Parts: sequence; C-alpha cells; structure tokens
Amino acid sequence: MPVFRLHIPFLDEVKAKGVRNAVRDKADDVVTRVTAGLNASAVRAVLRDDPPGRPNPRLTPHAEGFWLHMRPTYYNNLMDGLYPTFRLGWLSTFFFVFEIVTGLFLMVYYTPSPLAAYQNMLNIMGGVPLGSLMRDLHKLGAEAMVVVVALHMLRTFLTGSYKKPRQFTWATGIVLLGVTLFLSFSGYLLPWDQLSLWAVTIGASMAEAVPPEVVGRTINLLVRGGPEFGANGLLRFYLLHVLALPLVGIVALGVHYYKVILHGHSLPPHAEAVGEDTAKRVPMDNRTYFMPKILTRELFYVCALTFGLVLMGTFFYNAPLELHADPLVTPLHTTAPWYFLWLQGMLKLGDKVIWGVIVPTILGGGLLVLPYIEVGPSRRYADRRIGLSLAALFLVALAVLSFMGTPWYGVETSPEQEAVATLLPQTHPGPLRSADWEQLPIGTYEASQWSSAPTPELSALLRTFHDEVSRVNNASRQEAEGLMVIENWQTGLKKVTLRVVWTNQADSSPGEFSQVTYLHRDAGYEGE
Amino acid sequence: MKWHIALGMLSFVALSALLAFVGFNELARMQAYREATAAREIEAGALTFENNCRPCHGPQGKGIEGVAPAINAADLFNGERLKSIGFAGTVEDYVAGVVAAGRPVPTAGTTYPQRMPTWSQRFGGPLREDQIDSVVSFIMNWRETALAEAAPVVSAPAGGGVGTDLAMRLPTGDAVNGKSLTEGALGCTGCHVLAAVGPAWLPQAGQPGIGARAETTFAAPDYTGKAENAEQYLIESVVQSNAFVVPGFQPNIMPANYGNRLSAQDLADILAYLKTLK
Repeated sequence: MPVFRLHIPFLDEVKAKGVRNAVRDKADDVVTRVTAGLNASAVRAVLRDDPPGRPNPRLTPHAEGFWLHMRPTYYNNLMDGLYPTFRLGWLSTFFFVFEIVTGLFLMVYYTPSPLAAYQNMLNIMGGVPLGSLMRDLHKLGAEAMVVVVALHMLRTFLTGSYKKPRQFTWATGIVLLGVTLFLSFSGYLLPWDQLSLWAVTIGASMAEAVPPEVVGRTINLLVRGGPEFGANGLLRFYLLHVLALPLVGIVALGVHYYKVILHGHSLPPHAEAVGEDTAKRVPMDNRTYFMPKILTRELFYVCALTFGLVLMGTFFYNAPLELHADPLVTPLHTTAPWYFLWLQGMLKLGDKVIWGVIVPTILGGGLLVLPYIEVGPSRRYADRRIGLSLAALFLVALAVLSFMGTPWYGVETSPEQEAVATLLPQTHPGPLRSADWEQLPIGTYEASQWSSAPTPELSALLRTFHDEVSRVNNASRQEAEGLMVIENWQTGLKKVTLRVVWTNQADSSPGEFSQVTYLHRDAGYEGE
Repeated sequence: MKWHIALGMLSFVALSALLAFVGFNELARMQAYREATAAREIEAGALTFENNCRPCHGPQGKGIEGVAPAINAADLFNGERLKSIGFAGTVEDYVAGVVAAGRPVPTAGTTYPQRMPTWSQRFGGPLREDQIDSVVSFIMNWRETALAEAAPVVSAPAGGGVGTDLAMRLPTGDAVNGKSLTEGALGCTGCHVLAAVGPAWLPQAGQPGIGARAETTFAAPDYTGKAENAEQYLIESVVQSNAFVVPGFQPNIMPANYGNRLSAQDLADILAYLKTLK
C-alpha cells in the first residue's frame, strides 16, 4: 500500500472527454466558483442583457457570495431613476475606496516626521512616477467625498428616509459624516507645509476651549502631543488618518450597508401610503434586477468617474503645497479647510466656548438623534413644511457662516500689508512669482508710473500695486506710494522689494511697510 | 442598457490612453519639478542668508574683515580653502557641515574674534534642516560668479590709505556716497545697522543717532580716547577702533584696519553720512 497517493481528477477528465472539452469545463468551473454561482455563459448573458434562464442563476451570487450578499438582488423600478437617490450613497462608497487605493500609494513614500514629511512631498512630486497624479487624485477625491457625503445626508433628510424603521441607519450615517470630515481634516496636516500647520492649528485650538479649563488643556495636549504641533502631533494625526478613522469608517460603513439591505432602499415619499414602509415588498413586475442592469451601470460609473478624476488631476487640478511648515511665521489670511469655515465663522460671533464647543456639540448630537426626536409619520414633502423650511434655513446659515469664516469678514487687516500681499501672497504663488522672470528688469519703479514701465508684465504688476496702494490713503495717512525695487542678486536670482510709504497726518512723519522676496529664473511658478 | 457597457468600455479605453499620455510625459515632468524645487530652495536660502548670515559674512557673502571670512570667494569654490584646512570632502559637504554644526575652532592663521555658531536644530541651533539645506543651495549658487571674479576682495585704495592720525585734514564729504560705501563691501551696516554687534548708528529707543552722540561722547567723563571734537571722535572710531570702546561692547570686534582700506575721500564721505544720523 503506497504511503502517499497523488490523484489529479483533471487528468481523469482529460482521459474521458479529451483535452479540449476538459479544459473548457474546468474553466467554466473556475468562473462559477469565483462568481459564486455564474458560469461563463451566464456571465456572458449578463453582459449581453439576455433574459435569464429559469430558475434565475443570477440570484445565486447574492445568496452565496460575500460581496454581492451586501447588495440587493433586485430594486424597485422607482429606485432606478436618478431621483430619489442621485447615487450619492454609492458615490460615497466609491470615494471611500478611491481614497484607500490612492492613499496606500502615498503611504509607501511617506514618513510621519517633521524632519522628513515635507521632503517626502517633494519626492512624491518630483521623484516618484505618477506620484504627483496620485497626490492630486487623493486630495481631489477627499474634497469630492466631503461634498458627496454631505449631499447624501441632505438628500436623506429631504426625502424623509431617516424615519422609522431607518433611524439607526441615519445615526451610523452621521458617524460616517464625522469620519469623512475628520479624515479629510487629519490628512491636511500630513504634508507639513504652512497650509497644513496653520489650518490644523486653527482647528485644534478649538479643542482647547472645551470647559472646564483642565479638560480643554488635556484634550489639546492629547491632540497635539505637546503645547505646539511637532513630531508627536504629526504622528498622532497620521495614525488617526491611516488607522483609527478608516477603522471606525469601515465598521460604521458595514453597519450602514447592512441596515440598508435589511430595510431596503426607501421609496420616493409619494410612492407609498403615509406611515407604511413597502421597500421590501417589491411586486414581481416592478423589479429591476441587480444583474445585469445595476451591475453594468455601476461598472460604467467606476470607469467614467475614474477617467474624469484622472482627467481633472492631470490637467485642471493641482494639490497645493506651500512652503515648509514654520511655527514662527503665521501667514496672512490663514483659514480652516473650506468645510470647517462655518465653524471659523461661528467663532467670530463671540465666545469660543459657546460657539466653538457647545453649539457644534449640540448640532452634532442633534443630528445624531434627529430620527428619534422627529417622529412625524409622514415622509411627504407637503406634510413636512416646518422640517424642510428649517433645513433650508440651516443651509442658508451654513453658507452665511462659511462666508463669515473667510478673511473677507471681520478681520482687521492693514491696507499696506494687503497691498503687498496682493502681489506677493503668502498662501499661493500670486502674480509677482508667476510673472515672467525675464520681464522684471533691474531697477526702481514707482507704482504710480506703471504706464511707463519697460515691460508689459511689469506694467500690469505695478498697476495692480498702484490700485491697492491707493487704499492706504485715509484720514490719518496720506500720500501713499508704492515702490518696487528689482535687484540682481545672484546667478539667476533677483531680489524684489515691495515698499509702501505714506505720510502720517498727525505729525507729518513718514510711514513705511516693505517686504522682500527672491525670485529664481527656474522656479516655475508660471503654470500655477 | 447596452450604452452603459459601450460608454464604460469607452471610458476604460480613454482612461488607459490618458494614463499612457501621462506616463509618456512623466519623466520630463518630474525633471522639471526637481529643477523648480532646486530653484525655489535657492529663493528660500537667500532669505535665510539675509536674516542670519549677512550680519557677519557681509552683504553678498563678501565677508567682513575682522568679523567673518568671505564665502562668496574663489578660494572656497576652487578648493584651496579646503586644502589648507585638510578637508577631504566636497565644497558642498564642507559648507553644509560648517553651517549646520559651526566651527568651534578657527582656521589656523585667522584672527576672527567670534566662532561660527551652530545653526542646525540637530546640534542645538535655531534653523531647521530644510533651512540649512536651502542656505547651502544659496551659497553654492555663488560658485560660478565667484570663480569668475577671482580678484582679491579687499585691497588698499590707489594712493594708499588715509592713515590713523586724528588731526588729519579731510576733503569735503558727500553723505550720499558715504551711505552707499557703508552698505558695500566695507561691511559697516552688518554690525551697526542690521545687527547690534556694534553701537547702533540710527536713532532708536530714545537714543539719538551716531551723528548726535559724537558731539557729546568725546566730552563725557568715561571717555578714554584722544579726540578733542566730534569730527575727531568719528575719525578715531573708524581708524582706531580700539582706542575707545563704547561701554557695553567688546573690544577687538571692529576691524582696526580701516586706515589702510579707506582713501581720504572715502573717510570724508562716510563721516559726512554719519553726521546726518541724528
């Protein structure tokens, strides 16, 4: 009796059916196993939109496969149009996966240390093939995901889909909204440039306002890893970004998806009687099967969206990278990320504790428990006038507060600094750096004499400067003038001094503000 | 429904074509980005140099005699300086090392009163690593011009220096020219205007400018020099810098060789300028 017996059944089949038939049957078998129930001809039939056989083999993967058991076998025809879902939930998931894929790529080239992070960014942009594109895509996807998730929540509110029995689905959705916002926010710090450091500093300083003082101080220390952002804070934000928040997101997303399958997609409000939920009872002649229609359409979405995003990232969108983070230099006009501008706007209303901590907490908590408080049975728009009006009001308030969060509202600035910053902003290249280097001839130029400048680009710059400088004139300051001095500084390097001078009316004394920059021939800001 | 499939296939093909296009240009784009990064590093280094290095190494790094050596100089870039101190690495390594870690021991044969301090945060200095790197890039960008103008940086004026006699008769001075002389290779403003290494020339914090102070200092009880009027006090301060050191400052910081480096007209111009600072 042999100790070891090797038996390959495939060889028996070859012997019985011949090589060709055996290979064909084996391939069919493999496809059936991978798709959890569909053989090759069934897959082909799905893609060709042939009518399914009886019994419908396309139901098996939903019952036996892991991935498709998270998707419904069929949808109500009413859910097949763009309204009412606008595909926003699906899009949120798409972006979540998109961010994981592009994020993994970036992680390979990143070290969470202030000594290395910025250098890593430069390396990703200039030393890693497709690195710059991946970074653009990751940032673009993050911004889009915030928009899509917020719109998804808005849609769910508008169609009343948060109502019984979907209260908990809504609550997990709020958790996912929070995860999305904080994923985006925690990613902000990682490039370790000026934009990162100061946007996140603004956000984190809110944590300090949590009363009582000892709690606020402790939270602040925990978040930043010290009194100021440094190596510890960066590492903490990195771990939040790549580990803690995605983990929470995946768990919440699993529950969210499970609940959607459990309760079915809620129908448009007018489609069912008030107080009824018929999502799971879809009449036979009103069904759109996942296979083939939904499946092929989603595959189309994936291809088209990826193409669109890559197109954007290649030609129209560049993820910004400012100068290396410097805790000693606060740039003019620092703001929070745009999706937190409303919070920054609220902080300008008054007390940091009330507007920065208490109101946002009430807001977040209120949203979380909304479906348990607002228990009106009707999902129809006509029956929810108060709720919908409040939502509209909420959106307007959000828009107004976001505007108030920008530097254009309620920020005391000095016109001379503004005048210089118009040409030489601290947060992006701006007109002076983007100007053609050759068109900045050595010399001293008065802004008021812009029309006689030697080159057209210099003339345009001086004109802008002159317009801005004229705002320095007011009751106490007169005769404001702008000067631009361009010096030859080194091989391929020019020094440009922007100077604003004026006369103080009170004592006729001169006043001056100036800023210096150095421009290199090959700095390549033109395209930005 | 079939249009989904058609459009999906089309998107997929378009995506592949787009990625091929990106890939085709990627190496050139990366090269351009690295060049731009290097240029921006020089820009950043220029600012860091101006704020931290210029007070001692002078405008344009030409050095201030008696304070700190020239770094915008041919002997640094052609390797002579490295050979004389026995450094075997490259010029860039030398500059990077000295900027980061400083020079606790001066080069043999030099008499600079101060040591090159440590600049990198790694060794307890004030600058981040990226700032060190950018300053090094800025300094290395002098290489081309420094090697081209290999002439000595400091030389005596034609017809000899003005000497150190306090009672000398000077021609009429031109304050405007004097101002530009002090801002040039003589290095005056490095210590007296831009930094507080020497007494400030400009009026500040309730103290009048050097022009006004000169009129009273020579008569003050703690004055130890030999000047008998304001003019002589200023001459003495320039050409006999250690005859009287203003209280609160160290002797031997200010170079004592200006009597050899200035012509009578230069000194007259500088004095005319100083007298305007009240």
